[in-house]
Amino acid sequence: MPLFRVNLNKVWFRKIYGFNFAVNYHFKNKRMLSITNLHAQIGEKEILRGINLEVKAGEVHAIMGPNGSGKSTLASVLAGREDYEVTSGSVSFFGKDLLDLAPEERAAEGVFLAFQYPVEIPGVSTTNFMKSAVNEIRKYRGEEPLDAVQFLKMFKEKMAYVNIDQSLLSRSLNEGFSGGEKKRNEIFQMAVLAPKLAILDETDSGLDIDALRIVAEGVNKLKSPDNATIVVTHYQRLLDYIVPDYVHVLYKGRIVKSGTKELALELEEKGYDWIISALVD
Amino acid sequence: MATDTLVTISLPKEKQSSLDRFLAKGFPTNKWEEWKYTSLKSLNDIEWNWNTSEQSVNSAALALENTVEIQTQNGKMTLLGSLPTGVEYLDFASFAAQNPEFIRTFNERNPILDQNSLYDLNDALASSHQVIWVKKGVKLDKPILHTYFASVSIASAIQIKLLIYLEEGASLTWVDDLASSEDSKSILSNYVQEIWVSQNAHLTFVKTQDFGLSTTHVDHTFINQEDQSLVDMFTFSLNGGLIRNNLHFYVDGEQVVSNLNGLYVPGNNQLVDSHTVVDHRMPNSESNELYKGVLLGNSTGVFNGKIFVRPDAQKTNAFQSCKNVLASDKATMNTKPQLEIWADDVKCSHGTTTGQLSDEALFYMQSRGISQDAAKTLLMLAFVQQVIDKVEIPALKESISNRVVAKIQQALGV
Repeated sequence: MPLFRVNLNKVWFRKIYGFNFAVNYHFKNKRMLSITNLHAQIGEKEILRGINLEVKAGEVHAIMGPNGSGKSTLASVLAGREDYEVTSGSVSFFGKDLLDLAPEERAAEGVFLAFQYPVEIPGVSTTNFMKSAVNEIRKYRGEEPLDAVQFLKMFKEKMAYVNIDQSLLSRSLNEGFSGGEKKRNEIFQMAVLAPKLAILDETDSGLDIDALRIVAEGVNKLKSPDNATIVVTHYQRLLDYIVPDYVHVLYKGRIVKSGTKELALELEEKGYDWIISALVD
Repeated sequence: MATDTLVTISLPKEKQSSLDRFLAKGFPTNKWEEWKYTSLKSLNDIEWNWNTSEQSVNSAALALENTVEIQTQNGKMTLLGSLPTGVEYLDFASFAAQNPEFIRTFNERNPILDQNSLYDLNDALASSHQVIWVKKGVKLDKPILHTYFASVSIASAIQIKLLIYLEEGASLTWVDDLASSEDSKSILSNYVQEIWVSQNAHLTFVKTQDFGLSTTHVDHTFINQEDQSLVDMFTFSLNGGLIRNNLHFYVDGEQVVSNLNGLYVPGNNQLVDSHTVVDHRMPNSESNELYKGVLLGNSTGVFNGKIFVRPDAQKTNAFQSCKNVLASDKATMNTKPQLEIWADDVKCSHGTTTGQLSDEALFYMQSRGISQDAAKTLLMLAFVQQVIDKVEIPALKESISNRVVAKIQQALGV
């Protein structure tokens, strides 16, 4: 990487080279997330055993692997779920120690986790939930809260991303939602919060092909050169719609193979065994 | 003992016998089955002033527009303004003189349950015994707001008794705004309401209890319902050292609907005890009971809900639900649903749950940027909202909601 990229700011580039160039050049290669030798356990059981991963702005990474390999644990640890204890290693997010932050601070810094099993919250509508979330994040960033009119406008705009309608957003969050509605609601929330790093944890689970397409289209529309996506998935299917730049295979808490999107196709065809047996040899 | 001074009081014969009954029983202790978790034994250690003559103080009462107000300050009841035609506010003796027939029926009503010595104490010593009398077919379009406030400079027992009588087809919304000052000396607030809802009449009764820590409040509400009458009862126990609510419904008619809604949010060193009875004595009626509690700090909650379905009460639908959230490890909730069903063609259900806020839900909310305290507040308010939302007076709903939020936030230290 040429040295001069590191400390030049967006404005400077914009002035000299024009907007597009600045965005592509500056953000696309900006280091966003660095995971170094990350170990995590639940109770006495070590699940992550030395994860190393670099994610830059503009990239889509897919984390694949057989059941129980630690994929969802990695997603949870990044979002700050307390059940897991990080025993060693570090995670830096735009230079900040992510592990040092509470889950809500991580969200305010721009991390978003789309849950595999979105939680039902009786009595709280999606709109009220999102209003609280947006204004808490704005408070964290020292910004003025949005008012009702601004919310209305914003929600209307974001609803279009996932083809979700107002009646669903007025209902108690996720309560009695179908699998597809829950996942669309997750992507709606992602659209509202506009995270820098979106982690999609098995977003394809429980979705039929139509719902999968709608969800994937939503994710793709939200993609930009200054944000990144980590797609955690068991199957290649989702990657037909959200095309990754890199594919990593997680096995027993370590990334054992990385490659480009072709690796996912190979896994689809041959399964995981050939990688695992290669490890034993 | 505090009750020693009562022995010297001389009363008219009937009142004297009430007093004697109280003296024989004394204050309830937790040896009494109905008071297992709520002992009033410590009231014996206080030198009570039994006859409050103290002048009233200014209260910060609930501001509700478009109401008629009745004020009770330290046990003295006053009507402010005037009541619409067809509604009378008068003392019990005058009412009884005008309605001998009704009084005869009233006196034959179902006896109150045992273990209620404070009812007897109230009967003997109530400083006012007033009647709200809504005449046949009169439907009040604005609520009557009863602001009850107490603040005393020596430990005092404040006792009033109220009769609400709705004649056939009458309709009334009554709001009880009960409060005492935070810096008052000890108060024993002992409040009896006897309510008669005639055929086709409709009563909405919203009670908010927001007392200081030095107040022990005991509430007795007895409601008789005749054919096709409807009662929506709300009890919001927001604050107070100790609150005990005895709520008894006597379903003495067919196609009666009785709705019992309750919400309690006891904080540190507070106890709220809700004892409810729905006594179905006639067929084809319906009762719905929904109680919810958020227990903060080291508070204690008690719920005992009895439903009786007597042999004649066929085709009764009786539902009961009591759900609680323990917001701290030090809080305790005791629940006891009690159904006694003698009729065979009925639909009854009951369910009580006591749990903690879901860690999953908290993490989900935090992962969207909501701080843990804000998430807890939001979850707890959402939990109780169902009860608050049933109140149909917007300003009152908002006031209750705000007080619940403030109390939760105070407990969380935010």
